[in-house]
Amino acid sequence: MTSRAEFLGRIRAEMARTPGLFPATPSVRPARPRERLDVLRRELSERWPESLARFVREFERVGGVFHRVARVAQVPDVIAAIAAEREMRKVVSWHPDALRLDLAGPLSGRGLQVSTMPGGEVTAAERERLRGVAAAAELGVTGVDLAVAETGTLVVVSGAGRPRSTSLLPACHAAVFDRDVLVESLAQAGLSSKRGTRVRRPTRGGRRSTSSPAPVAPPISS
Amino acid sequence: MSDPDLATPFRERASRALGDAFLKEALTIATTKFITLRQEAFGDYPEGEELRDRARAIKEATLQHLDQHLERLIDNVERRGGHVHYANTAEDARRIVLDIARRSGARLAVKSKSMATEEIHLNEALEAAGVTPIETDLGEYIIQLAHERPSHIIAPAIHKTKGQVAELFARELKRETRPDPEMLTRIAREELREKFLQADLGITGANFAVAETGTVVLVTNEGNGRMATSLPRVHVAVMGVEKVVPSMTDLAVFLAILAKSATGQKLSVYTSLVDGPRRSGELEGPEEFHLVLLDNGRIKQIAGTLREALYCLRCGACLNVCPVYRQIGGHAYGYTYPGPIGILLTAMLEGPESVKDLAHASSLCGACADACPVRIDIPRMLIELRKEVVERRIAPWPERVVFGAFGWLLRHPALYRLSAPIARLLQRPFARGGRIPRLPLFFGDWTRTRDLPIVAARTFQERWAELERRR
Repeated sequence: MTSRAEFLGRIRAEMARTPGLFPATPSVRPARPRERLDVLRRELSERWPESLARFVREFERVGGVFHRVARVAQVPDVIAAIAAEREMRKVVSWHPDALRLDLAGPLSGRGLQVSTMPGGEVTAAERERLRGVAAAAELGVTGVDLAVAETGTLVVVSGAGRPRSTSLLPACHAAVFDRDVLVESLAQAGLSSKRGTRVRRPTRGGRRSTSSPAPVAPPISS
Repeated sequence: MSDPDLATPFRERASRALGDAFLKEALTIATTKFITLRQEAFGDYPEGEELRDRARAIKEATLQHLDQHLERLIDNVERRGGHVHYANTAEDARRIVLDIARRSGARLAVKSKSMATEEIHLNEALEAAGVTPIETDLGEYIIQLAHERPSHIIAPAIHKTKGQVAELFARELKRETRPDPEMLTRIAREELREKFLQADLGITGANFAVAETGTVVLVTNEGNGRMATSLPRVHVAVMGVEKVVPSMTDLAVFLAILAKSATGQKLSVYTSLVDGPRRSGELEGPEEFHLVLLDNGRIKQIAGTLREALYCLRCGACLNVCPVYRQIGGHAYGYTYPGPIGILLTAMLEGPESVKDLAHASSLCGACADACPVRIDIPRMLIELRKEVVERRIAPWPERVVFGAFGWLLRHPALYRLSAPIARLLQRPFARGGRIPRLPLFFGDWTRTRDLPIVAARTFQERWAELERRR
């Protein structure tokens, strides 16, 4: 089997035979990304109504359904309405710490069967069982890490308490977000994604996301 | 590795395709739609042209330091708990994946759409080793059920009509349905869902791999890529070495133009960024993550005539606009990669002798270069290939003799002038109504599908000389 050194050695040997087709450099990255991001956040906080309008337009263009509520307390009402409209009863949700919202009580009180995903490590057998729960669920509720106005895209980072199966396996995905996750473009999303050390950064557009309640004010997240 | 169909010469495969009315209808509808959507997407995106230049520069810059970017990628994948493997050939890559499957006791593998695994003919190898591969991209699933090969880089079942797919599902899945895309998709989703939950192994390609983070990026429209990387306990990604990009900033440039070029979308429905195996506290994700770096002819082209083909994003835009592809479809090309870029990639992977006919399956109109999101100069490389085919004596000897003689004649103007009256004499037995409908012997290939014009009564040089005399 070829070793790393042999493999890269062959590449270097070929590279030595040519200077390339033309002088070129990769993208220049901001020197102080954190500071640049802070400035961007301030700018975006002033332009959020325009960004939100653009997000809604693009999100609906790719088949998403957008809802907006004035207060966090109204989110369970919207989710319950989405479930009722589709005759769904089984709901699976991210852990409250990840979602920054505890839906179990309010949704159970509205007659829905809610399973909340654990926030930390569980046994292999429990993981298997929970996958079955997610597979049987009809509606999955997640948070959103970034919402890209340019494309109507939701960036959903998975990790502890925020499993991917919540958005993947149920037929309907409801994503809850606050206006502070809005960015205008993919380039801004690229800058924003550098700040953390998240394990996975799956992004998705809204086509399978048939509903997306978006409580815009007051903020759910800080 | 070549397909059994390759026993049939390219011209016969192309003729067969040209006679297939269903194929022509399906190709015309699909490619025209793709062209329109792409034009609209870039029309609404004024930064598009600048980003195409930027993307081209990033590809070239990456190749100029490919070793460093790959080293960084490897370090970051391993730091996150992944394993990196090195495959010089398709056979190496198959062996690596089969070893992983064997060690993990896998019996069922779900695959996300991947041209790299098509290229190494992985499915056949998995089946022979007792592992059942299930393609999970809808188009690839249709193709697998039909026991065919993909005929387009991003739309593998582009040659099939809705009716043909409905018949296929009825035959292979015992599911009767109308030729309705919604119903067909629902059936496929139901069939595939259980496979995702049962599979031991998830196999994907990689649209990109980000060196600075060790992230493998999958761009799909159906979410199957994320299912294949999340649910099975082992994930194997097979990627060509040229797929590495230096940074997330660079990735954003490619994501901004890839879907627009491929399907006219602003961004594909799902863009999944995978950073290795499951971490503590995560509920799902593979226990093992393996990245297979594939050479298979690519490394040699870093300093080769086909270097620019290493920029390719596999968007398929050049296929949609190619007047040859639009007539004959992908299967007639005979290899994994069809269309104008496919000819170059086939030469890269299989050697120039494999494209001695295919190198001529282009009008050199330049539409492919115009459509390419990274502005690959495909016509220039096709001409280079044709030259190589002649210089390496790969072309048939009659063709070499005729063109050799013609070249010699062009280098001797006096003899060239003399050749015109001789040709006028020689053509007399074959000329009919100002044309030559048929030539004898191997020259007959020239007139099989078209008439040749006769040599003019007076050449341009003769007419020019006459004009000069009249002054």
